Amino acid sequence: MTAAASPQDAAAVVAELRQILVLISARTELAEVSADTPLFGSGVGLDSLTGTMLLRQVQRRYGVDVAAEDLNLDALESLSTLAAFIAART
Amino acid sequence: MIKCVIWDIDNTLLDGIYLEAADQLPDADRELAGVARELASRGILQALASRNPPEAADYVQAVTGLEFAAAECGWESKAESIERIAAELQLGQDAMAFVDDDMLERAEVSASLPDVVVLTPEEAADAPNWPQFNPEVITAESRHRGEMYAARRRRESAAQEFGGSREEFLRKAGTRITIGRGSQQHVPRLHELSVRTHQLNSAGEPWTQDELARLVESGEHVVPGVMLADDFGDDGLVGAAVMQTHPAGAYQVPLVMMSCRALGRGALDALLAWLCDAAAVAGAAEIQVPCLVTQRNVPMRLALAAAGLRAEPAEVAPDGRAIFSRRLTGQLPELPAYVEVRDRL
Repeated sequence: MTAAASPQDAAAVVAELRQILVLISARTELAEVSADTPLFGSGVGLDSLTGTMLLRQVQRRYGVDVAAEDLNLDALESLSTLAAFIAART
Repeated sequence: MIKCVIWDIDNTLLDGIYLEAADQLPDADRELAGVARELASRGILQALASRNPPEAADYVQAVTGLEFAAAECGWESKAESIERIAAELQLGQDAMAFVDDDMLERAEVSASLPDVVVLTPEEAADAPNWPQFNPEVITAESRHRGEMYAARRRRESAAQEFGGSREEFLRKAGTRITIGRGSQQHVPRLHELSVRTHQLNSAGEPWTQDELARLVESGEHVVPGVMLADDFGDDGLVGAAVMQTHPAGAYQVPLVMMSCRALGRGALDALLAWLCDAAAVAGAAEIQVPCLVTQRNVPMRLALAAAGLRAEPAEVAPDGRAIFSRRLTGQLPELPAYVEVRDRL
């Protein structure tokens, strides 16, 4: 366990998260989504169903329970905030 | 309370063995098929778990006239089949009963899934008289629950084949969401939703019919209900909320609830958008949703976050609740084009 994750780690996590997003949304165009695009709202349009699937995959893959640690789910603002949240805990 | 009965096929729902039929397939077991239809009419889901090829399920559906909410036909153990059905229908094992004529199958299920109620066909024949098979309220939605789950199976397999985005699929499926204020006629279903919803429920406790009957008449509350339908089927009243319309500054929403059948179909997002809009139009500056924070209702928190509601400070009170709120300024969440807003449901 290290205190701060390196930028390379976060970038690799973003790439993996993007793949997960494509799988759960069945939207291939999300393979190009920028790391800073909002996940909620018109950008990616995360909702209760796809959000739950994303959190479940994150827990399975990285062992990080975002919902248990982040009451407001701020980590789900964008792929880069989610990757940073994960990288800080793995 | 039992919410789903899972039936074996051979010598249980069928009067004989499907694969051993020489030239004529066995008929339905009249008594047990009648029991299954009676329980279905009370809103209890019917499902199949059988060591038979998948065509057997279609055959049983045809000869019994039942709509099965789930069917697991294959060669795996009955316990595995029941676990799959529980996951698919999102039911706890203590809400499921299993009927099989085979003693070994019953023993295997009892040993691996001790919370499942395991019955012989003789016991099942008497089950309609037992309290756990007699729900307190039976609404139009509960009577058609089996059909709705069957529609859901067709919808899900069409969605998987579709390949495009969820939103495109919702449009293609002819999704229709109607939101309007509920009245006395909706009270039994509102109560039922408050008891049965967990993943998409902010309050985390049942609301009585008396309370709800008072609130739909109250001049200081609005109780919007959400109806959901598409080309696959009509789910009826799937969700609702209670919003307090005083004091003027901040409107409190002590209850938001939605059936899990509506998950991923835009209904909860539409309800939250309706609440924000109605509060803003009435001049409220803020909307507040106290939400019990549990592992189970994470989907509710996701919907609140998607609608721009946040807990400030981000703390859970000793009663397990956090108050999620948003100012009603700037861009409010929008209603999708397939949502129809009416004054009364």
